[in-house]
Amino acid sequence: MLTSPRQDPAARSRLLLTLLALLLAWPTLRLAEFDLLGLFTGDNARTMGNFLAGFWPPAHDADFLAVLGRATLETLAIATLGMALAALIALPAALLATRVLSISALPRGGRPGRLPRLLRGLVRGVLIVLRSVPEIVWALLFVRAVGLGPTAGVLAIAITYGGMLGKVYAEIFESVDPRPARALLLQGASRLQAFVYGVLPNAAGEMISYSVYRWECAVRASVVMGFVGAGGLGQQVDLSLRMFAGGEVASLLLTFLVLVLLADVLSRLLRQVERGQGRGRGALTVLAMGAALVASASYLGTAFGELLSARALAQMGSFLADFLQPDFSLAQLSAVAHGALETLAMSALGTLLAGLLGILLALPAAGRLGLGALALARLLLNALRAVPELVWAALMVLAAGLGPNAGTLALALHTAGVLGRLFAEALENTPKAPAEAIRLAGGGALAAFLYGTLPAVWPQLLAYLLYRWENNIRMASILGFVGAGGLGQQLYFSLSLFQQAQAATVILGMLVLVLGVDLLSNWARQRWVVR
Amino acid sequence: MSLALRGVTLVHADGSPALADLDLNLQQGEQVALIGPSGAGKTSLLRLLATGLRPLAGELELLGQQPWSLGNRARRQLRARIGLIHQAPPLPARQRVITAVLAGRLGQWSLARSLVSLVHPLDRAGAAAALAPLDLADRLYSSCDQLSGGQLQRIGIARALYQQPQLLLADEPVSAMDPVLAAHTLEVLSDAAARQGTTLVTSLHNVELALQRFPRILGLRAGRLLWDKPASAVTPTDLADLYANEGLSTTLKPAAPAPAETPLDLPRC
Repeated sequence: MLTSPRQDPAARSRLLLTLLALLLAWPTLRLAEFDLLGLFTGDNARTMGNFLAGFWPPAHDADFLAVLGRATLETLAIATLGMALAALIALPAALLATRVLSISALPRGGRPGRLPRLLRGLVRGVLIVLRSVPEIVWALLFVRAVGLGPTAGVLAIAITYGGMLGKVYAEIFESVDPRPARALLLQGASRLQAFVYGVLPNAAGEMISYSVYRWECAVRASVVMGFVGAGGLGQQVDLSLRMFAGGEVASLLLTFLVLVLLADVLSRLLRQVERGQGRGRGALTVLAMGAALVASASYLGTAFGELLSARALAQMGSFLADFLQPDFSLAQLSAVAHGALETLAMSALGTLLAGLLGILLALPAAGRLGLGALALARLLLNALRAVPELVWAALMVLAAGLGPNAGTLALALHTAGVLGRLFAEALENTPKAPAEAIRLAGGGALAAFLYGTLPAVWPQLLAYLLYRWENNIRMASILGFVGAGGLGQQLYFSLSLFQQAQAATVILGMLVLVLGVDLLSNWARQRWVVR
Repeated sequence: MSLALRGVTLVHADGSPALADLDLNLQQGEQVALIGPSGAGKTSLLRLLATGLRPLAGELELLGQQPWSLGNRARRQLRARIGLIHQAPPLPARQRVITAVLAGRLGQWSLARSLVSLVHPLDRAGAAAALAPLDLADRLYSSCDQLSGGQLQRIGIARALYQQPQLLLADEPVSAMDPVLAAHTLEVLSDAAARQGTTLVTSLHNVELALQRFPRILGLRAGRLLWDKPASAVTPTDLADLYANEGLSTTLKPAAPAPAETPLDLPRC
């Protein structure tokens, strides 16, 4: 008889993992100032109750509706104009960053020379920085530089989305057949000619459809950016929240939902038209974009002309120059480190809570507890997901006070909506037989889930969890703009006190955090998820 | 009485009849084989006995209890005393063998114990003991997706043996094994059942194996019990009747006389 292995080979790693989790749990809970009960104690509960009671009926008097209409149009205009500027940044950057148009690569079997490679790396690095700083941080900076209003929002969208589009455009250029462009370069065409005749015809469709998709994201983003004073619906939400006007908040949230839904529908429609057969469809999309652009520019008016005046440029220049000397004093560095840890703690705890809440809601949402529960759970998940994190954070600050606890709760609520839906889909696609077999052997519902269903789905659940955690770290670093703790709160204070040097350090801290998390999560995904 | 069926009728979800007017009595500790052509209702009968399907009519008594007049909790307790070996064991691919085997006793374990065991398997010795006679003790910590179909079937058997049920139902438990291994595995199964006084009902498509290993044979055809007799009394005509097919004309060879036990290359135990 073969001897069975005495030692569980997984025991040691599991023990270590458990110890590590326990070791991390305490500082995490401390840093995030976690306090679930704070929501339900005395004053907080009553204030919140009154506030929520005001939600019905939503405000609908003529004055407010006019304000609402203006804010909505402004939001759309910010997104559209911002995207146009982003494309203006992205296109030249992508042309510089792509290897396809390399002349020095022609005689070297596709490998560019050293100097061009360095230049391309530099452009790519700049694009990474542009898109790694969250758009709302750019918005906050521009509000300080050019004043309150939609201009700051437009510039913020332009910079962040310029970074994203630039990267994706470059990737698209490199994914199409390189031979036409290479042939043109070899016959003496310039780079731009080779691009226009050799690359663009194959890449245009994909570029347009990705840009439209990004425009939809920009609409969502420009709603939220109002919280730091960059115009649009968000600014109105912020005002109404401060005035505890529940009815107005309800109307604004409803408008927001409708807007996001419409943007979704429109973007899907445009992309379908784009992908369809027949000539002239691409032209139609471009025409629609052009019309939207002109409308947006005329709606936002002449603010931009003013922006380019000598006085404004000088003011902006001196403001930005202050950022070139970050404060690297020990006190500031340790403050940023603490803020970064707080941000990490908020995001980790928020994501974990969201995972728990998500799985609790996913079980009914996957139809395991009957049809009534299914409909109810899906409704709840959609509602949780539809309200952006920053709005949840503003609400939680009202409900649970300033600080990271509010941020943690906000992340948990929004992410639970996202994860719950993903988990439910994963559960629906899992074979039911193993769990059924355990029920037949007398196991309870929970035991059947743990032993029969979970083993098949947990890698997927873990992957979703990691993916959302990554996202939540970015989010956690900006929730502080409404007072919900983390690096964002530090940045907000520094900028309010005109301490640009300190603010620069905090922004660098954000960059390090976001890029570090990207690396870590890529590593973890490859280690545990890809098999 | 281990199980008693009187006039049991079962209808599939789509309305087609599965079992009609079935009568059957088994004493505690009895071992029977269930044979019959494909689609005769063997799996349906076993799932019915495992309380996985609810009869449309008739009386069903398992281990002295009527499962469908019990409350949920009592039915769960009854289910913990009935083991079912699936033809293709439904084991999650990434689950480890030890966890899959230990899952057999979830019906008896407390929730706390099953939670701890999920992370740190609590009864290594028990799982190893269940796997050892099936020659799989060395795969204790393998994950289920590394095993072949025949190995998975034996994991399923080990899980049911670890459950220590009083009524053990096996649905084609050796269909993915070679003849020698199949004979050996059936022997392990029936020995374990005999030792624990467990009633054993096994469906088999290998008629010779059934006649060799089981004292009592049930012939099921088109959802009805065609005959129910001791293995020694089963005649070639019985088998011909059981497997008769208008579309296919083949004459069944009479069951060869049981060959002397010549273990060729039995797993080392």
